[in-house]
Amino acid sequence: MAYDYHAVHALDGTIGAIAERRANHLAVHRATAMAMVLASPGRVPEAAGILVANGDFEVRFSGPGEWLVLSEVHAPETLAAELGVRLGDAAFVIDQSHGRVALTLTGPDAARILANGVAVDLHADSFPVGRAANVLCHHISVNLARTSAQSFDLVVMRSFAEALVDDIKVMARSHDLSVDFATR
Amino acid sequence: MASLISCPHCGTRPKEEFAIRGDATPLRPSSMASDEAWHDYVHLRTNPRGRVREHWQHVAGCRRWLVVERDNLSHAVFSVTDAATEVDR
Ligand SMILES: [Zn+2]
Repeated sequence: MAYDYHAVHALDGTIGAIAERRANHLAVHRATAMAMVLASPGRVPEAAGILVANGDFEVRFSGPGEWLVLSEVHAPETLAAELGVRLGDAAFVIDQSHGRVALTLTGPDAARILANGVAVDLHADSFPVGRAANVLCHHISVNLARTSAQSFDLVVMRSFAEALVDDIKVMARSHDLSVDFATR
Repeated sequence: MASLISCPHCGTRPKEEFAIRGDATPLRPSSMASDEAWHDYVHLRTNPRGRVREHWQHVAGCRRWLVVERDNLSHAVFSVTDAATEVDR
C-alpha cells in the first residue's frame, strides 16, 4: 500500500502573516541542513581540524569533542553524508535537519531579549561573535550562537520549537518584536 | 538563580542546568566482590555536613558528568572537574 508523505514544519500554522517587520525580528528557518558530530575517542583535534578547514560548515560548540554543524551550502538530504565522507572514522555523524528547528533573532535589543530567559552573560566581551553554547532558555535546552553584534542563532529540538517561540515573545514583551518564517 | 556552578567546558552556569546524582566518594567494587561490599556501595551513605564531593551532570549544557566539590551548608564551591579526569585516581 502506498502512502503520500509531505514535510510539515513544526511551526506551520502557528506564526506568519505579519504586516511589517519590526525593529527586532525572529526569523524561523524552513529547512536547515544540520548534523551532530561526535569525535571518536582520542581524535578530537583531528575531527575539529577537518570541520574548521572546510568553509561549507558552520561549526557550533556543543560539548567537548561534540559539535552542531550547520550548512547553507549543503542540503538537509546530503549534509550528513558529506560530513561522513570528510570525517571518515574520526567522528560519528547524526543528521538533525528534521529533528531541530533553527531560529535567528536580529535587532538592537536581541541580547536584552535573550537575557530575559538565558542565564549566560551575553555581553560582547564575554560572548563574542562566533561563540556558541548549549544553554537553558527558561526550561528549554537551546544551542545559542552569536552570529553578529546584533544577531543570534538558536537551534532547538523540533518538538520544543513552538514553546520556545512563545517564550521569546514573552521575553520580548517590552521590546518591539516580529516573528515570521525566513524568506531565504 | 543564586547557586552558580563553573563548568570546566561551558563556564559559569546556574544550578538549574544540572542534575545531581549524589555522593562521588564511593568506589564501585569489582564485579565478583562480596555481597557485603556491594551492599555498602549501593545502599550505605554517610550524611556529612560541610565539604562533600558529588556527581553533577550538566544536562542542559555539555551533558558531561562532573565532580563538584562544595560545602553543602554554605554552598561554597571549591572545585569542578570533568568526571572522566577522575577515572585514573
Ligand atoms: Zn558544561
